[in-house]
Amino acid sequence: MMNDEWIMINECNTKLVQHQNLKNHKMSYLKIENMEIAFNSLKGKFVAVKDIDLEVEKGQIVSIIGHSGCGKSTIMNAIAGMTFPSQGKVTLNGKEVKGPGPDRGIVFQNYSLLPWLSVYQNIYQAVDAALRDLPKVEKRELVEKYLQMVNLWEHKEKYPKQISGGMKQRVAIARAFAIDPDVLLLDEPFGALDALTKASLHIELLKLWNLTHRSKTIVMVTHDIEEAIFLSDRIVVMYNGPAATIREIEEVHLPRPRNKKDTVNQPEYIAIRERLLSLLMDKVSIDEKDFYKEEAAA
Amino acid sequence: MPNGQNYLQMKKTIALTAALSTDLIRKNPSDNELYTTSLRILNALKNIIYSLLGFVLLIGFWYLMSTITKGGLPTPAATFQVFWELVKDPFYDYGPNDKGIGLQLGSSLIRVFAGFLLGSLFAIPLGLLMGANAFCRKVFYPIVQILKPVSPLAWFPIGLVAFESASMATIFIIFITSLWPTLINTSFGVASIPDDHKNVAKAFGFSKWKYLTKVLLPFSLPHIITGLRLSIGVAWLVIVAGEMLSGGMGIGFFVWDSWNALSLEKVISAILIIGIVGLLLDRGFSFLEKKVTYSV
Repeated sequence: MMNDEWIMINECNTKLVQHQNLKNHKMSYLKIENMEIAFNSLKGKFVAVKDIDLEVEKGQIVSIIGHSGCGKSTIMNAIAGMTFPSQGKVTLNGKEVKGPGPDRGIVFQNYSLLPWLSVYQNIYQAVDAALRDLPKVEKRELVEKYLQMVNLWEHKEKYPKQISGGMKQRVAIARAFAIDPDVLLLDEPFGALDALTKASLHIELLKLWNLTHRSKTIVMVTHDIEEAIFLSDRIVVMYNGPAATIREIEEVHLPRPRNKKDTVNQPEYIAIRERLLSLLMDKVSIDEKDFYKEEAAA
Repeated sequence: MPNGQNYLQMKKTIALTAALSTDLIRKNPSDNELYTTSLRILNALKNIIYSLLGFVLLIGFWYLMSTITKGGLPTPAATFQVFWELVKDPFYDYGPNDKGIGLQLGSSLIRVFAGFLLGSLFAIPLGLLMGANAFCRKVFYPIVQILKPVSPLAWFPIGLVAFESASMATIFIIFITSLWPTLINTSFGVASIPDDHKNVAKAFGFSKWKYLTKVLLPFSLPHIITGLRLSIGVAWLVIVAGEMLSGGMGIGFFVWDSWNALSLEKVISAILIIGIVGLLLDRGFSFLEKKVTYSV
């Protein structure tokens, strides 16, 4: 029953995708081709990920999901230009990625704000470095604009230790958006936050994405299934490492703008969640044999 | 006549302090400014009393020792009289062998700061380089490890040969002394910059200058100041011994000269003064340390 429904939805999706592709003739914007990333250690070559092929269209939100140590962040770092593929390549807008650049904004796993700079300065210094040629006034305007967008303008003089984790992550997101990158890379951005803060930040992220006309491509690493479905257009499921590969790519066609309450009840949402759960977990329920049997023990 | 409002406030604070000290209102502390001020005054008073107790014990022990040695060790009273004579007129100058304690102290401080400044000017950039660059670290660290445990006094003859002046040689040994703690702390500070901070700089394309001023220096400054604080502490230890060797002028020379004149009162007075100046130097740098330490 579940399976039939799944296949049905999948067929619909395929048609939709074909239709969209015909309509837009979109070239893939971010392209990872036959990528392998290996590190040399004293014990020899360690392959983190291999055979990675991924194409992302402009303006898409893509999540990479998998267990810890499956090389999610490694792929992310390769797109960011912080790590280099030992084989294959990453191309962005037709150009091979050779290092970090202002066309990619990164939100790090642990906020990574500089503790000796105020909220304002944390964003300003990033803008100042990434958009070197912009006049000072415009840089200041940009910082103000994004601080207003994430509702932190009143807190601009505070230092990172004076604000909550959720606020820190909003600063980090504002910082990544403020340099106006084409691609946003989010490395487990909400992992350290409580469920309520997380939910409000999901909305915050989508809001910023909307305000920038859904033109920014977002690649996000996560291990939260609900988060991945709620935010993404596509979900890349990884096999476990080492030498991890892509296991499956799920398309998500939930209508946007998405709203937490309605989205979670839609059949497609539920179907994808079931699918991802079965991929990522060996067991999704406790059955008879998991119960402690008194007779057997006696 | 004090301003009426302030006067009233002062009276209240004193009354509250007194009340606190007798535990009268401890059970119901209202959390206002007056209360915290009073509590702070009370704690300060308590600390003064503890310190006084320590000094009373020390002086008692000292008195006992001078009684036992039958005047071999001068009594506290005799010493304080000499101490008073010394500090009463600190800046007199009756020729090369008879100068006031203030002049001696001043000359020592000038040498210490000269050597310390030169040492820091050398140690901080080298430390930054060693911290930031693994090649430099590997090349210089073995040298540092061998030279660091050497008593700076061993460098005195080399200073004499190089500068042909005892005074310059003293500055030279202070220079050597000041190098190691600053060098090691600075390089440690720079080497321990977290990857997170480096990644921010990389991801947003910080220029070399921006990385230096917005990441490297703010992170390592507390470590550098700690190094400087340790350096000045050791320099102040070494100057006394250095001036005993070099002679002529300075607090170390004063100690040696007083010993030759068989005035232990003067020696003990000098020890007291050296201790107080050392404490002040340390406090000054720990104040600076607190100023530059960012909180996480």
